[in-house]
Amino acid sequence: MACPELDLSLVVPVFDEEENLPMLHREIQQHIGGLGLSWEVVYVDDRSRDRSFEVLLGLRAADPHVRIVRFRRNFGQTPAMAAGFEHSRGRVVVTLDADLQNDPADIPRLVARLADGFDIVVGWRKRRQDGLWLRKVPSRIANRLIARITGAFVHDTGCTLKAFRRELIENLPIYAEQHRFLPVLALASGARIAELPVNHRPRIHGVSKYGIGRAARVALDLLTMKMLSSFSRSPLTYFALLASPFVLLPVLYLIVGAWGFGGVDFSSNWGQAALLTFILVSMAGVYFLMLGLLAELVVKVSGRPFDPLVHRGNP
Amino acid sequence: MIQSELEVPAHPPVSKSCDVTLVVPITSSKAEFEQVVAAFCRELERLGRSWECILVFDGIKGEAFERGVALQVASNGRIGTIALHRPFGESVCLSSAFENSRGELILTLPQYVQIDPHELSKLFEALDNGADMAATRRDPRVDSRLNQAQSAMFNWVVRIVTGANFRDLNSTTRLMRREVLEQLTIYGSMYRYLPATAYRQGFRVDEVPVRHLAEWGGTSVFGPGAYLRRALDVVGLMFLSRFTHKPLRFFGALGGAAIFFGALLIAWQLGMWTLDDGSYGLFVRPSFLFGVLLVVLGSQTIGFGLVGEIIIYTQARNLREYRIEKVYE
Repeated sequence: MACPELDLSLVVPVFDEEENLPMLHREIQQHIGGLGLSWEVVYVDDRSRDRSFEVLLGLRAADPHVRIVRFRRNFGQTPAMAAGFEHSRGRVVVTLDADLQNDPADIPRLVARLADGFDIVVGWRKRRQDGLWLRKVPSRIANRLIARITGAFVHDTGCTLKAFRRELIENLPIYAEQHRFLPVLALASGARIAELPVNHRPRIHGVSKYGIGRAARVALDLLTMKMLSSFSRSPLTYFALLASPFVLLPVLYLIVGAWGFGGVDFSSNWGQAALLTFILVSMAGVYFLMLGLLAELVVKVSGRPFDPLVHRGNP
Repeated sequence: MIQSELEVPAHPPVSKSCDVTLVVPITSSKAEFEQVVAAFCRELERLGRSWECILVFDGIKGEAFERGVALQVASNGRIGTIALHRPFGESVCLSSAFENSRGELILTLPQYVQIDPHELSKLFEALDNGADMAATRRDPRVDSRLNQAQSAMFNWVVRIVTGANFRDLNSTTRLMRREVLEQLTIYGSMYRYLPATAYRQGFRVDEVPVRHLAEWGGTSVFGPGAYLRRALDVVGLMFLSRFTHKPLRFFGALGGAAIFFGALLIAWQLGMWTLDDGSYGLFVRPSFLFGVLLVVLGSQTIGFGLVGEIIIYTQARNLREYRIEKVYE
C-alpha cells in the first residue's frame, strides 16, 4: 500500500453508471474542491458493460484528481472497494456509490466528524429513498439482527457512504460480500465508530443492482460475523458454544433417566433407541470441539493477522 | 557449451529472452517428443518467431531421457531438459518449466503430435487480437466416437460447474502470455483446467478450433478410477471457483438443507407421537433416528464452513479476490 501523501481519497466503485458519472464528479469537485485539502478520487471500474470507462477517461483528461482502477472482469462491489483502498493514498478514505444516491455534500461533515477522534464514520440514510417492502424493511430487519447479534449498534450498515482513517483500513480484511459488515469488524478491532445522518436521494439514472432474496445468505453471514467479531482470537470458545446443546441434551437425558424414572433402562426398545439417539447427538458435540481445535490451529498458524487498533493521538 | 569465436563474455547470455517457450511435459517413456519438437519448431521458424523449448520428464528416466538429452546437445542449448525425480503430474511440469522459461509467450504441447502444426498461426492471431490465452478445440475430431462422447460429457459438466464456456479441455495445446502463469497458482490437476481457471481470474481466453491429426493410445474406456478422479476434480473446481472467499455459503447451503429435512422428519414423528394415545413407538421407527442423524450431519457441515471462514479471514491479505487490468494515474 502506498504511503499516505494526500489528505483525502474518495473511493467510488463503478458498475454501469455512464449517465451518473459526469454529474457525480461535478458535485464532488464542487464540495471537495473548496475544502483546501489535497484530494483524489479513485474510480474503480468493475468492468462496466456500458460506456462508463470511456466517460471516466474523459473525466481523467479534464481533472488531474481522477484516478481509475480498471478490473479485468466483473468482480463485484466489495472487491472494487478493496482495490480502491489499496490504490488510494489519502490519510482519510471515503467510500461512496456512483449512483448519485449518496450526496457528496455530506462528505465534508463526515471528514470533520472523523477529526473529532473517530476511526470510522458511518452514514445513516435516515430518510431512505427506496421501495419500502423490497428494500427498506428487509434492510431494517437485517440491521437490527446485526446489531443484536454482534453488538455493533449501527442503524444502517448497508450505506456505502463511510469515512475511514487509513490505519483502520490497513487493519481490516476486506473480502467477499462483506462490506456491510465493515463496522462490525472495525468494532472488533477496537475502532471508535460514529454515525451521521446523511442525505439519500432517489435514483435518477440506471437501475438498482441489488435484489431481494438474500435472507439465507445474511443469516449465514451473521453466523460468520459473530464468530469473527467476538471469537477470532479464541474460536474454540465459539465452537464450544455451538457444541453445548449437543452435549447438554444427552447429559440431561442421563440425569432425568437416572433420577426421574428409576435408572436408565436398556431392557426396553425405548431405552435402547433413546440411547442410540443421544449417542448420535453427543457425537456432534465432540466433533464441534474438534473443529474448534482445528480453528485454533488456523488462528495460531496465521500469527497475528489483524492487530487491535492503537491510538497515538490525533495526527 | 562450445563458445563461438566472437568476443564471448565469461557467461553465455542466459537472460536473453525469446518470443515463445515451448513446454512439453513427458509422462510416458513412449513419448514422441522428437516429432513434436521438430514439427512445431519448424512451424515457429516459418512464422518468424524466436523460440526455446523445455522438455520436462515427469519421472521418466532411461532411454527416453537419453533421447531428450541428445536432442538438447544437438540443439546447442536451445532445447532444455528438466528431469523430475518422480512423477509429479503435468501441473508441476508446467510450473517448473515456467520458472526456467525466458519466452514472452508460453506454448504447452502434448507429448505427441496431436494437432496440425500449421494451425499455430491461429493461436498467435487470437493473442494478437487481445486474448491472454488461446486454448484449442480439436474440430473435427478423428478419434473414436466413444472418446468423443466421454469428452463431450466431461466438458459439459465442467462448463456447468465453472460457468466458463470451453468445449475441449482435454486438448492441452495452449498458447498464453507469461503474466497468466505469473498470476495463477498451478497445482494438482489444474493443468487440464488451466483455461477455465484463467477465465475465472479475469483473463480473456479464446478457444480456437484446430485440425486434429491423431489420437494417441487408441480408444479407451476410462476406468472407474479415472472417472472418480475427474469427478473429484470437478467438485474441487466448483468449490474453489465459486466459494473460495465465502466457504460458509457452500457448507451452509448443504448443512442447512440437511438440518431442514432432519427437522421436518423429527417434527413429523414427534407430532405422530403426541397425537397418538401413547402406544406410538417413537424410537422404534427409523424416521426419527434418521431425522436426528440429518440434523447432526447438517450442523457438522456448517461447522466445517465456519472453520473455512476462519481460514479465509486470517489469510485474507494473501488472497486477492480481484485482478486489475490497469491503474490509470
